[in-house]
Amino acid sequence: MLDTFEILTTSGVVLWSRRYSPVGPHIINSLIRDVFIEERVQLHQDDAGSKPTYRREGYTLKWTTAKDLGLIFVAVYQSLVHMTWIDKLLENIRALFVGLYGEQLKSKPSSVVNCAKFAPYFERQIQDLEQLTPPSTTILTPPSTTDNESADESVPAITLQKLQKPLYDTSADSTPVPTPDTSRPSTPAQSHLLAGKAGPGGKLSRRNKKKFAASTSAPVSSGDEASVKLKGKGSAKKNRVWGDFGAEEEDPSVVLDYSQSDLRDEASEGEALAEINPESWGSRTGKGQFVLKDLDMEMDQIIAEQNAKKEAPASALSGGGLVGSSLGAIGGLFRNVVGGKTLTEEDLAKPLKGMEDHLLKKNVAREAAVRLCDSVKRDLVGLKTSSFTTVEATIRTSMEKALAKILTPTSSLDLLREIQTVNAAGRPYVLSIVGVNGVGKSTNLSKIAFFLLQNHHRVLIAAADTFRSGAVEQLRVHVRNLQELSKREGGQVDLFEKGYGKDAANIAADAVAHAAKTDFNVVLIDTAGRRHNDQRLMSSLEKFGKLAKPDKILMVGEALVGSDSVAQARNFNQSFGPGRGLDGFVISKCDTVGDMVGTLVSMVHATGIPVVFLGVGQHYADLRGLNVGSVCRLLMS
Amino acid sequence: MAWYDEDSWATAAFAPKGSTIAVTFLLVVLLPILLHQFLYRKTTPTTLPSFLLIGPSGAGKTAFLTLTERKAVAQTHTSTAPLAVEVLLPEGHTPQSSHYRSPGDPAYERSRRFQLHDTPGHGKLRHFATTQLANPTSVRGIIFVVDAASVAEEAGLNETAEYLHDVLLALQKRYTGATSSKGPKEIPVLVAANKMDLFTALPPHLVAQQLEKAISEVRKSRAKGLKDSGPALGGEDDSLDEEREWLGEGGEGSFEFAQMEEVGTTVTVQGGNVIGGDGVDVTSWYEWIAAQL
Ligand SMILES: Nc1nc2c(ncn2[C@@H]2O[C@H](COP(=O)(O)OP(=O)(O)OP(=O)(O)O)[C@@H](O)[C@H]2O)c(=O)[nH]1
Ligand SMILES: [Mg+2]
Repeated sequence: MLDTFEILTTSGVVLWSRRYSPVGPHIINSLIRDVFIEERVQLHQDDAGSKPTYRREGYTLKWTTAKDLGLIFVAVYQSLVHMTWIDKLLENIRALFVGLYGEQLKSKPSSVVNCAKFAPYFERQIQDLEQLTPPSTTILTPPSTTDNESADESVPAITLQKLQKPLYDTSADSTPVPTPDTSRPSTPAQSHLLAGKAGPGGKLSRRNKKKFAASTSAPVSSGDEASVKLKGKGSAKKNRVWGDFGAEEEDPSVVLDYSQSDLRDEASEGEALAEINPESWGSRTGKGQFVLKDLDMEMDQIIAEQNAKKEAPASALSGGGLVGSSLGAIGGLFRNVVGGKTLTEEDLAKPLKGMEDHLLKKNVAREAAVRLCDSVKRDLVGLKTSSFTTVEATIRTSMEKALAKILTPTSSLDLLREIQTVNAAGRPYVLSIVGVNGVGKSTNLSKIAFFLLQNHHRVLIAAADTFRSGAVEQLRVHVRNLQELSKREGGQVDLFEKGYGKDAANIAADAVAHAAKTDFNVVLIDTAGRRHNDQRLMSSLEKFGKLAKPDKILMVGEALVGSDSVAQARNFNQSFGPGRGLDGFVISKCDTVGDMVGTLVSMVHATGIPVVFLGVGQHYADLRGLNVGSVCRLLMS
Repeated sequence: MAWYDEDSWATAAFAPKGSTIAVTFLLVVLLPILLHQFLYRKTTPTTLPSFLLIGPSGAGKTAFLTLTERKAVAQTHTSTAPLAVEVLLPEGHTPQSSHYRSPGDPAYERSRRFQLHDTPGHGKLRHFATTQLANPTSVRGIIFVVDAASVAEEAGLNETAEYLHDVLLALQKRYTGATSSKGPKEIPVLVAANKMDLFTALPPHLVAQQLEKAISEVRKSRAKGLKDSGPALGGEDDSLDEEREWLGEGGEGSFEFAQMEEVGTTVTVQGGNVIGGDGVDVTSWYEWIAAQL
């Protein structure tokens, strides 16, 4: 069963929603954050053509967008339920909503869209689609309807009939007698439903329940007594039969919901009823039918129109003779220069290929380049280019935006403040550095140490590279230099070493304990370089993470590395076991690559983890924070 | 055929012919009309005073915008795109500029109109706000919405303070970087401490105090932080990197909002709530808006 359906704008305003059971707003918020903003989640597509899904806290979310209008359509349902028609529903609702309210949305920027009358269209769509698919065997509790407001608006589609009827009578020959009484006090609907379930009618079919939901949402508001349809599924009887439990009160009555819910396949039943009571039934049914037919036709028409619009550009191009096509081509060329052209996938294909090649030349890994181009394509298809803008220029701005978005960290990366916070909690701040061999782990560690020393921190450097000969000596030289330098700057630095061959994780843990005892407030741990595809060495990182409990794990990557960067970042990010990953990247040797800084993008793309530092030279002071703007400019130049 | 010939265009233009008169007449009549239309289409949309809604994600910016536009709060989710709407100052508040006008006066009604610009607060989407800040034509004020409940916690406070620091720094840069001697038009900032209905929310004066303290920290660590990669990667020599800008005049010590007045920015902190069991309370914000109109 569907839990919630929402139509919202990209600016965050919910325009219309239908709620069957409460779903916290954070569910959809996290969809927006993870999928639309951070693009962090690798969407799993079940099979070709189906819409992507997003899962969170037992819910599955499916969505579609109308880009030119800035609309997002989201359906939320429980992951346990298998719903096959959601894709179709999203498509149809989008077409309907855009068809009905597109003009209104385009006319003026506003957060208000007058779409209260959308409810009947929506209900009808659900009904249709549920009928098309065989009812699933999962029976869920009946939906609670909370959307009275919109249900009130569904009047045109709903005609009410109240039928007098003996209690518990579910036989086929019962005679419904209409009563004009509609002013009875409403009674809680849900209790009736539960009672009705136990009635002789037996199991409610899924669809009937759905109908019940529709009938309760509207009639309750008009003061009717709600009741339950007890029609056994698959029984031969023609009439619908209504069990009623308000019967102990004055007059036993039944609400016959002749709403949109039961028209298509139950017209014959309507006829049967009309036979019994021709005057009242005939007219009412006729009227109801008319109203509903109207709605149906209108709906189909809108959907068809929208679909036709989508196909129009394609056919316009293919159609027409020589003159027509050449005129079209000239027009297209003109619009390409002047702007105001609606972009299609074909328009974008060639310039995007060019853009991809450009990114590859900048040393961006293919995978990342393809993703960026896809994101630009998603961003642009269906949009109109603005005036005096070519397709190329539009792609360029969009790509700049995509690059900035991918590189900008989600939260701030202020190392000094983090240290302060951790120290305030009474323990030393632990930062460790990992990476493949020879990328400059020790060098960058020393640069970070220098930066911290300038800020008067007391830094303990732990030599946890017990593997490569010379590693400890190398650090010792760095520490001696740093001590020399920090004499002037203030700050204190020392080396913690246990020689070679010991277990790195234990040394790291010892170093942290030592620092806490001897009043160092930052511990920097150097680890052994390892190939990211070396299973044995990579697996030892998990233990390292558990024992040393670093506050921050940075991975050093070379700016020079090419397409391998993606695999490196991914493998290191996963090596610390579940629940722990990298916290950031240090990209070294940036000064050697000129404007080919694509590695930054590749690594961030692979993991969604930000670049914290850039190494730009041979000196201790050659460490920089990331300036997103300048990197984007370099990449686009 | 030269221009001085009998039947050249120059001769025709001055000849007493019917067609020449007609063309001249049309030109005389149509030109001012076209000019008028061109000018007015250009200027009308920009004249409306506007207010920028800025603040971290989930603070209640979009909620406040919907409240102002339709007098009731709509349900909202995280924004991914900015939104600018035209709204009316609610009844009961008089724009500063129309204090002596009576209600019903068209000028009075006009002065109640303004534009609200909502911006997304997510860390990756703040460029929408910062580009607006870089060129704030027709911006009368900035409403920095703060979730007073999340400010009670370290993480929320830091995020908010950093964002507010950046906004104030941008305003200061605009002031100090101005070329005219008079300095640019002042842009005041309202720190709207939202969600006062929540039990965990800090009262406005504490929000102000906490933010000032946190901004002092941000300012200090920004000054000590690493230089950014811009010049180094661009192949320029970054040793003569320009001085980093320090928020607020005066040297070390703690930051106070009052320091911003020297650079043409008044900061006001007001509490309120856009949603709440005991009704909505945003009058102090509307009063502030009215004072800027
Ligand atoms: N209790 C309470 N909740 C509020 C108040 N104002 C807003 N909220 C809730 O806070 C949440 C976030 O509000 P939004 O307006 O969407 O936040 P935003 O500032 O636009 O956030 P972004 O669009 O992500 O930048 C919503 O669920 C609101 O219902 C308030 O005064 N009190
Ligand atoms: Mg918002």
